[in-house]
Amino acid sequence: VNKRKILPTRAALTLTPSAVSKIRLLLQDKPEYIGLKVGVRTRGCNGLTYTLEYTTEKEKSDEEVLQDGVRVFIEKKAQLTLLGTEMDFVESKLSSEFVFNNPNIKGTCGCGESFNI
Amino acid sequence: VRQELYRLPESSQPLYIAGQRCFSNASIRKKSGEPSPSEDKVHLTESCVKRLSEIMEKGEYLRIQVEGGGCSGFQYKFSVDRNKNEEDRVFEQGGVGIIVDQESLEFVKGSTVDFSQELIRSTFQVLKNPQADHGCSCGSSFSVKV
Repeated sequence: VNKRKILPTRAALTLTPSAVSKIRLLLQDKPEYIGLKVGVRTRGCNGLTYTLEYTTEKEKSDEEVLQDGVRVFIEKKAQLTLLGTEMDFVESKLSSEFVFNNPNIKGTCGCGESFNI
Repeated sequence: VRQELYRLPESSQPLYIAGQRCFSNASIRKKSGEPSPSEDKVHLTESCVKRLSEIMEKGEYLRIQVEGGGCSGFQYKFSVDRNKNEEDRVFEQGGVGIIVDQESLEFVKGSTVDFSQELIRSTFQVLKNPQADHGCSCGSSFSVKV
């Protein structure tokens, strides 16, 4: 008889309260979308950059993160890169943006948009 | 068509000061062979004007500064400012204005300020800078054409 082994899991991505409320606001009047999808793309002076888009369905390979009622999907390619990342939303008078506090990265670009692992 | 639009007010300038025997910046630049005299201006896109009119109170301007820094050597810095200094140039459009100091203007003249809105970020950007050689992916940093 196999003993059931319980493995520790943690969310691949955590959302800050301001990110949650912003995503909720974004999706409020768009019932056709079920959530946002986070990805990474090769771009920028440091190798990689994050992408963010609306998504209408969960693809097989996507990792789903459900927190406080909002859903964020992580592209397969980005899952390792993003593991343990905190997604924040920062707003000031002149700009507003989603910021990813990623423990895996080695360096970022000055503006923080581009990074390497 | 655009070229002509810009040229119109500029070409009247040398005529106006010709009697005073001064040389405008534009005429100097013509001698050195650079094409457009409209280049010491900073242009604003519609979305930039719209956003500024939403967030700025009366008497507030968007200040653009160029500093050393970023991955490409220079970077743009945006801030809100109420004070205009003597050496500042103000570019107004649609009831809003941006301020650029004289030193920074040398680096940004001829470019366009835009407010770009994407899902991941919304921010002011300097686009189509004739002085910039290649920039960072995000556009906040650039290097200068030699």
